[in-house]
Amino acid sequence: MMVTTTSPMRRRFETAGLWLLLAVGAAVMLFPIYWMLVTAIRPRDEVFSGDVSLLPSGWVWSNFVDALNHMPFLSWAWNSTVIAVVAVVITVSINLLCGYAFAKFRFAGRDILFIAVLSALMIPIQVIIVPLFLVVSDLGLLNNYWGVILPRAAEAFGIFMVRQFMVSIPDELLEAARLDGASELTIFLKVVVPLSKPVIAVLIIFTFMWRWNDFVLPLVILTDQEMYTVQVGLNLLKGQYNTEWTELMAIALLSLVPMLVIFVFFQRQLIQGIAGTGLK
Amino acid sequence: MADLSMTYPQAQSETSTSPISRWWRSNRSRLTPYLFIAPNLLLFSVFVFFPLLYAAYISVHQWSLIDVPEFAGSQNYARLLGDLQFWQALKNTVIYSAATVPTTLIIGLFLAIGLNRELAGRTLLRSMYFLPVVVSSVATALIAAWLFNDNYGVINAVLKQAGVGPVAWLSTPKWALPSIILTTLWVRIGFCMVVYLAALQSISPSYYEAAVIDGATRPQQFLYVTWPLLRPTTFLLLILNVIYSFQVFDLIYVMTGGGPGFSTTMIVQYIYRAAFANSEMGYASAMGIVLFALILLFTLIQWRINRRTEQFV
Amino acid sequence: MTRTFDRRTVLKTGLGVGAGLLASGRISPGSARSPVRLTIAVWGGKAEIDAYNKVIAKYQAANPNVTFRLDVLPSGQFYQQIDTKLAGRQAPDLFRATYQQVGRYAMNKAAVELSKYLDSEYGTAFMPSVWSAVSYQGKPYALPHHTDTFALFYNIDLLEKAGVTVPARLEQAWTWDEFTKVARLLKEKSTGPYPFAMGWTANAVHRWLIFLYQHGGRMLSEDMKSPDINTPAGIETIAWTQNWFKEGLVPPSTSLKAAEPAQNLFANGTVPMMLNGNWQIPFVEQQAKFRWGVTYLPRDVAMADDLGGTCMAVSRDSKNPDIAADFLKFMVNEENMRDYVSSAQFLPVRKSLVESGVEFPLRSEEMKVFIEQTKTIPEHLVNTVIRPTWGKFSSKLADELDLAFTSGQAPEQTAKNIEAHVRSILLSA
Repeated sequence: MMVTTTSPMRRRFETAGLWLLLAVGAAVMLFPIYWMLVTAIRPRDEVFSGDVSLLPSGWVWSNFVDALNHMPFLSWAWNSTVIAVVAVVITVSINLLCGYAFAKFRFAGRDILFIAVLSALMIPIQVIIVPLFLVVSDLGLLNNYWGVILPRAAEAFGIFMVRQFMVSIPDELLEAARLDGASELTIFLKVVVPLSKPVIAVLIIFTFMWRWNDFVLPLVILTDQEMYTVQVGLNLLKGQYNTEWTELMAIALLSLVPMLVIFVFFQRQLIQGIAGTGLK
Repeated sequence: MADLSMTYPQAQSETSTSPISRWWRSNRSRLTPYLFIAPNLLLFSVFVFFPLLYAAYISVHQWSLIDVPEFAGSQNYARLLGDLQFWQALKNTVIYSAATVPTTLIIGLFLAIGLNRELAGRTLLRSMYFLPVVVSSVATALIAAWLFNDNYGVINAVLKQAGVGPVAWLSTPKWALPSIILTTLWVRIGFCMVVYLAALQSISPSYYEAAVIDGATRPQQFLYVTWPLLRPTTFLLLILNVIYSFQVFDLIYVMTGGGPGFSTTMIVQYIYRAAFANSEMGYASAMGIVLFALILLFTLIQWRINRRTEQFV
Repeated sequence: MTRTFDRRTVLKTGLGVGAGLLASGRISPGSARSPVRLTIAVWGGKAEIDAYNKVIAKYQAANPNVTFRLDVLPSGQFYQQIDTKLAGRQAPDLFRATYQQVGRYAMNKAAVELSKYLDSEYGTAFMPSVWSAVSYQGKPYALPHHTDTFALFYNIDLLEKAGVTVPARLEQAWTWDEFTKVARLLKEKSTGPYPFAMGWTANAVHRWLIFLYQHGGRMLSEDMKSPDINTPAGIETIAWTQNWFKEGLVPPSTSLKAAEPAQNLFANGTVPMMLNGNWQIPFVEQQAKFRWGVTYLPRDVAMADDLGGTCMAVSRDSKNPDIAADFLKFMVNEENMRDYVSSAQFLPVRKSLVESGVEFPLRSEEMKVFIEQTKTIPEHLVNTVIRPTWGKFSSKLADELDLAFTSGQAPEQTAKNIEAHVRSILLSA
């Protein structure tokens, strides 16, 4: 924190002014989500009436019920959840292993392989979406959870974060365990993983978020409407025969709920975890 | 050194002598890293690198998805050079990147500095700024489309009240790109803020104390202590945000479809159109390869620049 | 279909057993008596989906071993998804397509050639225009299901308020000038920010040809061998439709690549008039809270209208093409076609039904306007849009017109660009 030599009175003014600025900014940040909620609970006619007030005139919670009745949102939410949870389990495990190997081992080709992994970050999925579709289809995984989980299970950004973090684990601990005759896997499980809790927390949250928010791949792989994820379903709603912005906003809001819940409960770990991962 | 011998089972006594287990024991520590990285590498190979190679293969063919690929040599690449709309898409992407990346970095940095101080409710404030990051791109695009809606959007309603008159945000070329840029700022600022915040917190106060002793004012502290120490973070955020801005797709796809005209067509979106709307897979793949090369080049250049000034790890 | 590079072999060699252990999503083929599952891909509003489900249920009752899955895909991405699936050899057994798009699939043999399932006289029962549309080199690749066309929907309350009376007979249809005057009057009387909207999309840009032909222009020459769009008639049509946007007569968001569907704006009262098709009737009837009616399109030197409607094809990936073709024939037989068009508000394509007429439970008077308009569809227009290369050409046409409407591209430049695309794409096969 920067140190200052100005007078306390001036400092208080400055702090108050700064706080005000930050608070207004935060309100602006939050406004779109607030507006989503407001639109979702407005009576339908009020939305198109042309006069727009910042507060709704009435609370029509039935909009949510109608929206849920018209679209298989709950199936979509279930699909998204299964995909995200399985992806988290797989991605976190293999990223931890991989990041640890890159951080703490010397082996031939290490740098080249690491760069290869990073370059995967730079390939926009649209470039490879058709060959990827063909690969998934040849593996018989179309319209299947695995067709969405596997292609994204290896997440380059996660490997990068884990490596950054693990570089700071003291080598002495690992050496001591090796001297005691522990196998590498045991060292990993009993020494490295417990020390990595901050990065594991961040990885879990980010991976869940990435998989929950995935759009292009599920759009192409999942063909049965009942198999759609929440994001693909949301895109479907923005369709031709829909005047119901109230329902659209209601479903969009519902689609945010898991991430909002995770965020509210884990934001401290998340924000502090990023500090711990050495992403600086 | 802690005595960890009680934590771990003793190594098995060397009783088995089969060739395989002997080979394993002597090569174990050399092979382990490869085993650890194997799952990721396997998945990358199958689902990223192989498709990339296949895309390169398609890029020298003409293929419309429903017919048979036909070899075309460097025709697609030649066409790329003369395709005005490709260069416009690239130009749009560069403009978009230039407009969003520095802005989010600077605002993120100042937010981080501000929220690093002892302020009431700063955890809440930090959360509010970070929240847009967790919203999906599809939901973001829908909210933004609703806010910017010509007829019913709240932004136009507010403008009308202020007497500035409604703006056809998403249907005029002049305003469509700005709407997308504004939406992107909303999405990305929180992320930059959090990363800078983490970096700021790891700067030891002793640096500042030393600077104050030397008589540095606050702006000078920022310039000579904070900014240089944040260089690795800035470097990292620069790369990440440029990659993001060059890959932006979901937002455009859902919000404007690349229109009106080609005013919001970004490069990835143009590739998608060529592939799926115009059924020109070969051409789309060629553009994709070129895009990948550009991003790679940019990253390497950044890496070189940074190498000369600061150690990355 | 041969490939110079068998990627499947490379993959399977590399992954071996691992791939086989993963879950499989394939459907097992079956004979006529064993259980069969057919997937049908369509787009559409509620009325159309309900009508499809009805005919599916009927077929299932008669053939209990066949089950169906109806995939409703978003119309904006429909062909992209079908194409991607065809590339992966996972296309549905049956898919819907407009007459303008089906030629592309026929030409690339993505649809199954159906003559072995039909007797030689089968095609004569259908209107010649739609039968040509589904045929390629004399053989049918899809079966025509229904057609539709455009007319002018109007909000009775708002037009009365502005003192506008609509033409009562086809001969009295407004000229382009009169139509523009009406639009300006409505705008002046502030019945809404924009007086009308046109129901076209990037996927259905052929609807712009309505105005081209009304003004005496056309896309191709009489003998269909060279472009004919870069003419005064073509340029003026571009200018007239461009002027709708310039003068603010239509919402800027209703250009071709737009986000805002015209029927939504009409149904919630934002625009008092809309140019749209007969299948919108159930939706408008359900949503509009005002009195509304349908009248004739404006006309210029001629009256013209659009060949709309869809057919259905069996994809080459189908594992049960015989049964799929059987269902297809069932769906387009006289009785089922009549049921479908009457409940989804479309027009039949069997000569017998056209002659006898169909009872429409909803808005039969308004449907008569559409039926009358179908008689004004120029044959040359039909022959232009059913060319197998139309599908690929139409996306470029949409690009150019969209640039004219939203980005001020000059009509002369637009016509020149379209002419170039006609030469390189439309006339390339």
